[in-house]
Amino acid sequence: MRDFKAARAPEPNAKWLKLRVRLLFGLFLMLLGVAFGRAVQLQVFEQEKLRGMAQDQYVRHIEIPARRGDIFDRRGTPLAQSVEVDSIWVDPSMLPDVKAASRALAKALKLDPDELGARLARARRFAWVKRQAKPAEVAAVKALALPGMGFSKEPKRFYPQRELGAHVVGTVGMDGRGLEGLELAFQDELSGQNSSTSGFRDAKGRKLLVQGALDPLQRQGAAVTLTLDRHLQYVAEKALSRAVEDAKAVAGMAVVLDPRTGELLAVANHPRFNPNTPESSSRSGMRNRAALDTFEPGSTLKAFVVAAAMEEKAITADSLFFCENGAWRVGRHTINDTHSYGWLTPQVILQKSSNICMAKIAQAMGREKFVKGYQAFGFAERTGLSLPGEGRGVLPFPKAEVSLATQSFGQGMTATAVQIAAAYGALANDGVLMRPYLVSKVVDPDGVVLLENRPTELRRAVSAKVARQVVGMLESVVAKGGTALKAAMEDYRVAGKTGTAQKADPVARGYSDKRIASFVGVVPAESPRAVILVVVDEPKTDVYGGTVAAPAFKEIATAAMAHLAVPPSRTVAPEVAVAAESPAPAAAKPGANASGAARTALADAVTETPEPGTVRVPDLQGEVGREAVVKLLAAALEPQVLGSGRVVSQTPAAGSLVEKGARVTLELAARQ
Amino acid sequence: MKNPSPPSSSLVRFDPVLLCAVLGLVSFGLVMVYSASAVLAQDKQGDSLYFLKRQLVAAGLGLGAMAVAMKVGWRRLARWAYPLLLAAIVLLVLVNIPGIGSTAGGARRWIRLPGFGLQPAEVAKFAWVVYLSYSLAKKREKVAKFSVGFVPHLALCGILVLLCMMQPDFGSSVLLVFMLFVLLFAAGAKLSYLVGMVLLALPMAYVAIASSPYRMKRILAFMDPWAHRHDVGYQVAESLMSIGSGGVVGLGLGDGRQKLFFLPEAHTDFIFSIIAEETGLIGVGLLVVLYGVVLWRGVRASLAAGETFGTYLGLGISSIIAFQAAVNMCVAMGLLPTKGLTLPFVSYGGSSLVVLMGAAGVLLSLSANTQGAARPSRVGTDMREVAA
Repeated sequence: MRDFKAARAPEPNAKWLKLRVRLLFGLFLMLLGVAFGRAVQLQVFEQEKLRGMAQDQYVRHIEIPARRGDIFDRRGTPLAQSVEVDSIWVDPSMLPDVKAASRALAKALKLDPDELGARLARARRFAWVKRQAKPAEVAAVKALALPGMGFSKEPKRFYPQRELGAHVVGTVGMDGRGLEGLELAFQDELSGQNSSTSGFRDAKGRKLLVQGALDPLQRQGAAVTLTLDRHLQYVAEKALSRAVEDAKAVAGMAVVLDPRTGELLAVANHPRFNPNTPESSSRSGMRNRAALDTFEPGSTLKAFVVAAAMEEKAITADSLFFCENGAWRVGRHTINDTHSYGWLTPQVILQKSSNICMAKIAQAMGREKFVKGYQAFGFAERTGLSLPGEGRGVLPFPKAEVSLATQSFGQGMTATAVQIAAAYGALANDGVLMRPYLVSKVVDPDGVVLLENRPTELRRAVSAKVARQVVGMLESVVAKGGTALKAAMEDYRVAGKTGTAQKADPVARGYSDKRIASFVGVVPAESPRAVILVVVDEPKTDVYGGTVAAPAFKEIATAAMAHLAVPPSRTVAPEVAVAAESPAPAAAKPGANASGAARTALADAVTETPEPGTVRVPDLQGEVGREAVVKLLAAALEPQVLGSGRVVSQTPAAGSLVEKGARVTLELAARQ
Repeated sequence: MKNPSPPSSSLVRFDPVLLCAVLGLVSFGLVMVYSASAVLAQDKQGDSLYFLKRQLVAAGLGLGAMAVAMKVGWRRLARWAYPLLLAAIVLLVLVNIPGIGSTAGGARRWIRLPGFGLQPAEVAKFAWVVYLSYSLAKKREKVAKFSVGFVPHLALCGILVLLCMMQPDFGSSVLLVFMLFVLLFAAGAKLSYLVGMVLLALPMAYVAIASSPYRMKRILAFMDPWAHRHDVGYQVAESLMSIGSGGVVGLGLGDGRQKLFFLPEAHTDFIFSIIAEETGLIGVGLLVVLYGVVLWRGVRASLAAGETFGTYLGLGISSIIAFQAAVNMCVAMGLLPTKGLTLPFVSYGGSSLVVLMGAAGVLLSLSANTQGAARPSRVGTDMREVAA
């Protein structure tokens, strides 16, 4: 108490004390001011940045993928379906020991523990452990009872028919987006609307609130119905595979088309791939080459030249042309036939497939009418199959005499398999070209029709009379003395044409000794129900369309006639018909080889220079990306590069004839 | 002000502004403790009101302590200076004994009693201020002398700091040293000694930090919270995001997201982050103003005390409140490394709230500015001031 009293006495340094207290007061006010200033900085100037960062962690966008729409064949058989499978993910920050956890997970899922461990260590709050896992794997992971594990349903694409129609249907990537084929072309329609809902979550990753209810209809993509017939597709693929394998060829395509409607009943490609395991095949191996890629068709196109010439009255069915006994000089070039012929009518020209006489028919028409004739049949015109990257084909105006000649037998111009089939469809459909189509209907889950294709007449290519006459002439091709005896059927009349085209040689800038053998047929000839085209790329055993492709045609045609329940032809008498329609004197076939079927002639000697305005695509296989681009630019082509490294595939193929400035897509990959 | 009760009411004598500011802070704290802890309470205790209920009880006890302090008056506290300090030291020793002290978060800071936990450090802070005020006032001019004014206080401070560091409680240690510094400065200790003390304290602080990996981590986290946002800087980074997302007007009471387990200690040391997130700059401004008012009215009352003991006491209590508040906010906003100091009156924590409210009662009794608890006279002070 004594001290207390002492302290009560007036202080001599009270003034100083007050000053010091006020100084301290000022200091503390300043500290509080600093705190407030910092709050202003954080909450006003850095607000957006910090709020964004915060939202990143507590707002989790729960992407609910829509169920991808199914793809059906014309009879409703599913070709592509979606099933829901579990995917396993983890919030690595919740794991007490990432290393131990990744070892356990890797063991349960048969993954590489090091790779998984590294992946989890890199991730902060989310990492896929295994996407599209099997139910047993999900159970195994659940049994581990690790914290932070999550399981979500992801739709997985499933192709119940496996390889069947795979090139047409295409496939999807791991993320469920279309990679190839119709899956890519109809990505938007098939995928539907992914409904994204935002939910708040706590730091433990638990969903707290999910905002908004989900509309189940919104969650489904549209269904796509194709014109393909599963059975015919199966038959076509089987027959094509056998033809390609028998001929030891590299690839093949087959198209079955209904000439009356333009519907594509089958579009087959070889080699096949299984869309359920797309990673096991290359992107180019998945390409629907029959619909997309162009090639020089060869003699199958002769029928159109004859038809156009008759339509233009440049020739009649009775006109006679001298076949120069097998060799004819056009300018600096020589055109050859495989056999030497003398005077032939158009029918026999087609039957024997004389190149020389075709060139003369083309000359008789004149260049303008010649080109117009092809164009009327839809060549160099996009078919509009609604597939991305579909080739249009090139038909350069034949300024040079020799170009006119080669184009008359289908070289020096390109077309897709579907174009050729559709053009034959016009001949079979009394001269009316129907637009070929592959997708008949796209219907969304509400039943709204998003797209419907109906048979569409594009134009009349030739008169009905001429069309019937040419189909009649083509019947002789499979008859005795024709090039495709193997295509003849017992119960049905067949009208067809072989083709054995030379493949362009990208190195020598001319033609190589590689061939594309083909056969296209119309059956039954008197009332056509199907156009069937079989193309075999680079056959090794035998190169002629009549030998390599015709048997496959017959196999497909036999099955198709049965499947379509087409009554057998009554008058199976092609010889009679030929005799009736062919008043050509016997003397007209002086050099005809009576013993065997005449073989398709080859334009062996034709060293062709591309027409102005067109170029051949150089072979860039294995080139370093930059050099490939330089070469393309030098060739006046527009490069489009995917990936990096060396060229593993190119589209269009090396040696293809394309317009200047056309786009060439290069797929690059690093080589090991 | 708001209280139109007759002058006979005992409340009138006390500074109504200071009273309102303190009660405002306590009320604000109760609301925010509930908002920040409800999710955690529901998760851990199955009762979202768990922490709020406990804090309400503490606030009730605090009100009692405040009323007693106001009634008893600050002058009588002088007699309690030694007993209080002794009690604090005993408690600090006890808390370091395993079995008595209970551990949470790697530090033994609580003495667990039936129903509640006592945090001796909170008591020690107050006892230290009372003792210092008493001792410095008693020694008067001798404070300037090294042996009298400096050495004993420094030695006592060393003992308290040592006991705190054993728990360990770095934040309280810093506060104890800081209070010594503040009161010595106010009492007129030689600046050279104070500077020397700082120079001496720096290497010691460095050793204290460097010797403990967890303190080192806190420094790292402070230097660059974003670089360490997934480990040591996590808390500060989350706090910054939380404060930033509040913006000017805030997300609304109860609508903060960061308390959903993102931000550890959301209802205790980092409650400021939740306040800033939910009430925005406006709430932060209100908080800063309330602390500013407490500081201003506290300093005003201490200057008007007329006795050095009262001045030191008022200054010390105001300083504890303002310093803790400023440091806590600066820590939450990444301006200072993490200390473990609570936001006075607001953070969840019974010991802190009761002691602080009791201390506020002392401040209020200072503001009543009387000789004893019973005499309502402003005049006396004014006269004395004039006389001085």
